[in-house]
Amino acid sequence: MKKSLLVSMSVLSASAMTMTIMTGSAFASAKHSSAVTTIDWAASPISNVGIRKALIQLFEKTHPNIHVRLTSQPTNTDTNRASLATEISGGSATPDVFMGDVVWPGQFASAGLALPLNHYFPKSYFNSFAPGLVQGATYKGKVYGAPFFMDAGFLYYRKDLLAKAHLPVPKTWEQLANDSKVLLKKHLVRYGFVWEGASYEGLTCNWMEYLTDAGGQVFNAAGKPVMNSPAAVKALTFMRSLIASGVSPKSVTTFQEPQAMNVFNAGDAAFLRNWDYAWSNSQTKGTSVVGKVGVVPMPTFAGKKGPGYGNIGGWNLYINPHSKNIQADVTFIKWMTSVQAQTVLASKYSEIPTNNQVQHDPKIKKLNPVLAIVGSEHLVPRPAQSPNYPKVSSAIYQNVNAALSGQVSVQTALNNANSQLASASSSSSL
Amino acid sequence: MVSPALLFVALVTLFPIGYSIWMSLNHIQSSTNGFQFSFAGLSNYKIVFNSPLFHQALIFTIVYAVVTVLVELVLGLLVALAINQPIKGRGFAIAIMLIPWTLITVISAQMWGYIYNGVYGVLDYLMQSLHLINSPIVWLGTPNLATISIMIADVWKTTPFVTMILLAGLQLIPSDLYEAAKIDGAGAFRSFFSVTLPLLRPSLALAALFRILQAFGLFDLPFVLTGGGPGTSTMSIAMLAYKAIFNDFEYGPGTAVAVITVLIILIMSLISIKAFRAQVGEVEE
Repeated sequence: MKKSLLVSMSVLSASAMTMTIMTGSAFASAKHSSAVTTIDWAASPISNVGIRKALIQLFEKTHPNIHVRLTSQPTNTDTNRASLATEISGGSATPDVFMGDVVWPGQFASAGLALPLNHYFPKSYFNSFAPGLVQGATYKGKVYGAPFFMDAGFLYYRKDLLAKAHLPVPKTWEQLANDSKVLLKKHLVRYGFVWEGASYEGLTCNWMEYLTDAGGQVFNAAGKPVMNSPAAVKALTFMRSLIASGVSPKSVTTFQEPQAMNVFNAGDAAFLRNWDYAWSNSQTKGTSVVGKVGVVPMPTFAGKKGPGYGNIGGWNLYINPHSKNIQADVTFIKWMTSVQAQTVLASKYSEIPTNNQVQHDPKIKKLNPVLAIVGSEHLVPRPAQSPNYPKVSSAIYQNVNAALSGQVSVQTALNNANSQLASASSSSSL
Repeated sequence: MVSPALLFVALVTLFPIGYSIWMSLNHIQSSTNGFQFSFAGLSNYKIVFNSPLFHQALIFTIVYAVVTVLVELVLGLLVALAINQPIKGRGFAIAIMLIPWTLITVISAQMWGYIYNGVYGVLDYLMQSLHLINSPIVWLGTPNLATISIMIADVWKTTPFVTMILLAGLQLIPSDLYEAAKIDGAGAFRSFFSVTLPLLRPSLALAALFRILQAFGLFDLPFVLTGGGPGTSTMSIAMLAYKAIFNDFEYGPGTAVAVITVLIILIMSLISIKAFRAQVGEVEE
């Protein structure tokens, strides 16, 4: 490993440079011979594998002068980022357009890996998106990504179990814990609540929800880390109590989405915190919970105005600053975020559209219960407006996970997180 | 005739290494115009040595390397001695044994992930059926258990490799030496310690060398099984370097970690080779 790390760093960047030279000349000759522009779109598989190709086909039908070539990226978001960063930082002109996580703008903008879009799109274009999304793609006053499809944390619950025990759908965290305890006492289910508690990005997403519900923040308005506030203590103490009281299994500290999903689909949990895809995933043949699942916005803490906060996830479309086909890239992105494409995304593939008009279309809302409640959920972004967001996030999830697995106390974990957040914001650190 | 070949080797191996060392001495910022280097002396190394995360990763990696290499040498030796006997089905046994070694680590790691799973894991199921435990244990949920669980997965995978090297070593020992020992009245123990072990030491040293090299590059097992968690307790130095370079874009400190890792491995290898030479000398005496 040690050697391959060294080698891959330099070899990959070297090969990326050769690729630039090669593709550069290829494009030059292509332009002379025909009027068709080929652009390369790098995207990881979207939950339904056929989406990318279906959208490309629709786009090419109405835009015969632009040919889109799909480069399939790794499904692991970190590996995807590593591969894009290696290509683009090496000066490669491809991919022209890439699909990237909503938490990338700060890091990609400061590393010169994404083109600021303001110059190429009219102001009115950015007003077509659901509120908050463009702000999330903005770094130092410039927009770096066009919101493509969005995601958020939702609370999934077992309708049949709650009915059996005559319990209401929980609107607060306390109620969720109590409902779970009742169900466990009656031996109706093995576990109360499953969520994502492993030491990885997904825990940062879960954490943002509890923290914001409790009234806390990661950074204050002045940019100072404030993750050791009383609100943060309340949030983390509650998360720990879920495990200590048996509402959540001890192994929740090793769960990513698939593990939490498996437990819920097997009928072993009453509640699940997960993203948009969990709806269709739980309703596919072969799970034990078909027809028994309901979905609502996340709960909040007792005494706060509900509903609770759902963390924003999803993907943006970015342009490679070295792209030789920026006009075609812009046309492609405009179409992908248009009413037509977004309607296909939502109606055929149940992705949450970013286009405000489509998101609020009553016909779309009727399609499935997740699309119906998106508009009513409170959304909170992760603190991604920093070029060092990956370090910010690992400072959060590593320490929260350490507290959840009982290695350190709540206060120690939050103090450690806070001091790591302070050093994460400095230019160079590990 | 030799020089073009040497030049090729130099380009392929020395250039990336040299370039990495150069990178580790610079502050590197990726920008639209490519990487911007500004010489920073040893400041990246200072960042690394002052980082509590690096200390933790270094200690974890050393403990992991020492424990797994020792256990694998002992187990590998026992298995090699067992299958060195002319028993029936030996070829079959060797073939079966090699399966863990031939499995790609990320795949076997995923498999161990299912075994250790805290809800549906096979291990918990077995132990509960045998009434060894009352409630499921979360094998990857606490630092010590997670470390041990990763070590077990490693021992399972790489013991066959050690066995193979030691088996080859055992078969090189001339059988007349054992006959001579027998005539001199040596029992099984005496002939093991006086004949087998001394003559096997070069093979042991070789196996140890290979294993140390690999153990210090530990990456895939914790990457798949724990992601470095719980907290950061199973993060190896290779994972730390990967995270710094590819997630955080901290090219300077990241390459500094990589260079330090290479230095540590180099020192360990030199020690192993030295031990190997001394042992050969001892045998000749």
